[in-house]
Amino acid sequence: MEELWKDISLNASPPPLDRHPVYHGRQADCFLRLPSMVLQDFLAGPLNRPLYPPQAAAKEPSLPPLETALSLNSAKEFLGEADQQANTQSNSSSNNTNGNVSISCDFSAVPPRPAALFSLCSRKRSTTETHPGGADRHQKRMIKNRESAARSRARKQASHAYTIELEMEVSHLQEENAKLKKQNEEASGNEECVDGVLSFTGPIECASVPERGQAICRLRRYEKS
Amino acid sequence: MSRDPLVVGNVIGDILDPFVKSATLRLLYNNKEVMNGSELKPSAVVNEPRVEIRGRDTRATLYTLVMVDPDAPSPSNPTKREHLHWLVTDIPETANASYGNEIVPYESPRPTAGIHRFVFVLFRQSVRQTIYAPGWRQNFNSRDFAALYNLGAPVAAMYFNCQRENGCGGRRYL
Repeated sequence: MEELWKDISLNASPPPLDRHPVYHGRQADCFLRLPSMVLQDFLAGPLNRPLYPPQAAAKEPSLPPLETALSLNSAKEFLGEADQQANTQSNSSSNNTNGNVSISCDFSAVPPRPAALFSLCSRKRSTTETHPGGADRHQKRMIKNRESAARSRARKQASHAYTIELEMEVSHLQEENAKLKKQNEEASGNEECVDGVLSFTGPIECASVPERGQAICRLRRYEKS
Repeated sequence: MSRDPLVVGNVIGDILDPFVKSATLRLLYNNKEVMNGSELKPSAVVNEPRVEIRGRDTRATLYTLVMVDPDAPSPSNPTKREHLHWLVTDIPETANASYGNEIVPYESPRPTAGIHRFVFVLFRQSVRQTIYAPGWRQNFNSRDFAALYNLGAPVAAMYFNCQRENGCGGRRYL
């Protein structure tokens, strides 16, 4: 990616569409996608487009005129001081090839053009100034997507919570059912012990799967009859 | 972390304030009970549901039922929150809503964009009172409605999700 960027800035000519560089801060984005731009913006025309690679081209020729303006300034008013400042500030500025440029930022007389040079590394700011619709739209889309994702997660959680509560109730009811059944068996089991031992003489009528209670009743009836 | 679907689905917050449930509300569309937070198709909710209310009081208490869509016209852009779908008052306990006073007739949910929540809110009436229909269905406010008619806090609430029958509704432009 870095080589491509250097390649473009050196050429100082707008590259063909399919070689647009990646948005500086977003390395993960698709290589071929136009950053901060939707199809509608692109179709709106060449004047609508963000100027990032051509800005590199614009910056290169702007350096020489600035140089001359600065040299004029320094020659006129700040002869000795300018030289001293150039020595101190050239060490601190790593962005510029020209040490004089850093001085120019301190003078209010000089137009803010050099500030654009500093933003070589911060594409987003300059693009937002020149084309406010693009970056905003992207951010809005991102925010909306995030909200939609949050809603989707909430929906998933809600249904999950309900399922858990249902399952808890099912297990609770199953336990209760088992307990009640056991109680029922025990209660009728006592009667069986008393009657069955005393009166069991003949065959028992057996349905396919008799309930214990029913079998016991038949036993008792048999006894009585 | 509450596990109540009403809280997780943000119904409590967007439409209602937290309340203590003091009645059971059952809604049946085509004899199938609606589970809180479940999803239903528009074709399943075309006609009004059967309503079953069980409260603590065995006295003849009357209830008011409100059905709203807080995600109108779309959940990401709820400018018409809440859209009133149904308003029935004077519903006696254990009876169906058809025994009540249908102030605002049932409107079938027909969401065009996104997945909407459809919320039913049940209020207990202290007296048999006259409740007037609002001038229009959209931008209804359940909180204000309850305050206006002194209905107090809701006694039960339930919601389901509903989206378009088919498709996604097309692309949305910002």
